Amino acid sequence: MFERLLEEAPLFFSYPNLVFILEAMGRTLGMTVIGCTVGFVVGLMIAVLRRSTSRMLLPFRAIAIAYVETFRRIPFLVILFIVLFVIEPLMPGSSLFVIATVSVCLIATAFLSEVIRSGLESVPEQQIEGARTLNFNSLQMLLLVILPQSWKMILPPAAAFIVMFIKDTSLASQLGVIELTFAGKMLVNRGFSPVLGFGVILVCYFALSYPLSRFAAYLEKRLASS
Amino acid sequence: MVRHADGSADNAEPVFLSLLFRIAGHQHHVNHRLMNYTLQFSEVIDDLPYLLAGAAITLQIAFISFWCGTVIGLFGAVAKVYGSNATRKAVSFYVILFTNTPALVQIFLLYYALPDAGILLSSMTAVLIGLTLNAGAYLTEILRAGVISVRRSEIEAATTLGMSRLQLVRYVMLPHIAKTIYAPLSNFFVWLVLGSSLAALFGVEELTGRAINISTGNLRSIETFTVVAGIYIVLTVIASTTLALVGRWAFRVKAKVF
Repeated sequence: MFERLLEEAPLFFSYPNLVFILEAMGRTLGMTVIGCTVGFVVGLMIAVLRRSTSRMLLPFRAIAIAYVETFRRIPFLVILFIVLFVIEPLMPGSSLFVIATVSVCLIATAFLSEVIRSGLESVPEQQIEGARTLNFNSLQMLLLVILPQSWKMILPPAAAFIVMFIKDTSLASQLGVIELTFAGKMLVNRGFSPVLGFGVILVCYFALSYPLSRFAAYLEKRLASS
Repeated sequence: MVRHADGSADNAEPVFLSLLFRIAGHQHHVNHRLMNYTLQFSEVIDDLPYLLAGAAITLQIAFISFWCGTVIGLFGAVAKVYGSNATRKAVSFYVILFTNTPALVQIFLLYYALPDAGILLSSMTAVLIGLTLNAGAYLTEILRAGVISVRRSEIEAATTLGMSRLQLVRYVMLPHIAKTIYAPLSNFFVWLVLGSSLAALFGVEELTGRAINISTGNLRSIETFTVVAGIYIVLTVIASTTLALVGRWAFRVKAKVF
């Protein structure tokens, strides 16, 4: 086994292969970054919407709750398939990357909105009462009082979830998006040893997620003590 | 895919291939489909018993990997808290490695790379081992939080009061541990139910695998996967409700379902 690895290593780490793997890594990162950015923005909107008490917004609140509760209970793989088969007739010719990214957005929105919501809820009631007494409107209250105090409750779990999304994007390889896992499969299909192919891919994923989970642990420690 | 198997296990590719063919086929009559697509659930409903049997296999996978993972996690947590420096480092390495890489790639390694070393796993075994090792890593972290939630002073107080070792565990340690770990533990079980869907990619016929089987037959993909999504929702809601009730009854933990 080891002779085979040594024999293949120079061939495996050739320049085109490395570029191929790096491009795939970029795609994995791209899906995660786009998905999490959209997830954060929409998730924040959903979280704020769920805090609202106006009766006019009741149907929207119901939709938001239903959305969050369903999408947190469906496997990412099934979401990928559904998005694929829905988008495919609606927007012909949309690339597989787009389809996978939309799926990541959907799932990231559901999970991150829950994280953000519990972060917003962690702000003590007195703070909100104080802001109301000072005649803040709801937007000012959100931007100047609630959000600045809830970041430290939101960021550590959010970072943990982003690590989860990085790992979830590996399932997009089944659609044929040339991200890290699919790149690994292609290299193995070309005849490289699976130990080498998937091992290198594993290291690549690790290089993407480990800094982030260290950052999450650091944030948790630092923000908890302050 | 290079895999020197007996052939029956070699079915990680068809999912992806059949999807690609279907996309190519759709491009021609897309406009018709856009306007005229009507959802028809009848064929999927006919296959409901088949899907539900798949759901049972999904639960089996989740249960087995959860309990085996708990055993690993228990040892890992105790080793991480009370172990020597070297054991602590080894356990940390295992946890960091498995929590920072996708389960799919880990199982690929087990499934395609181990045959090089002369170990040939069936797809089900590979998935179970992969998920168990994954679960073990996460549960080590969860259970460790439980173990360190018991303060030394409380144990000392209990010994001072003359509690026996059994009483100490039952009345002092267990409530603390249960309270700390119950919510993450039940969340993790739900995660495992969802995560076991990747077994489909190795040809295991659990819920998602059966959905893929059906949809390649009846070509009602949207309907099939919607129904399957519904089954997953029902499964996880039942699981978290049961766990919340058990937690309330046995450990007086107020766990939330939603």
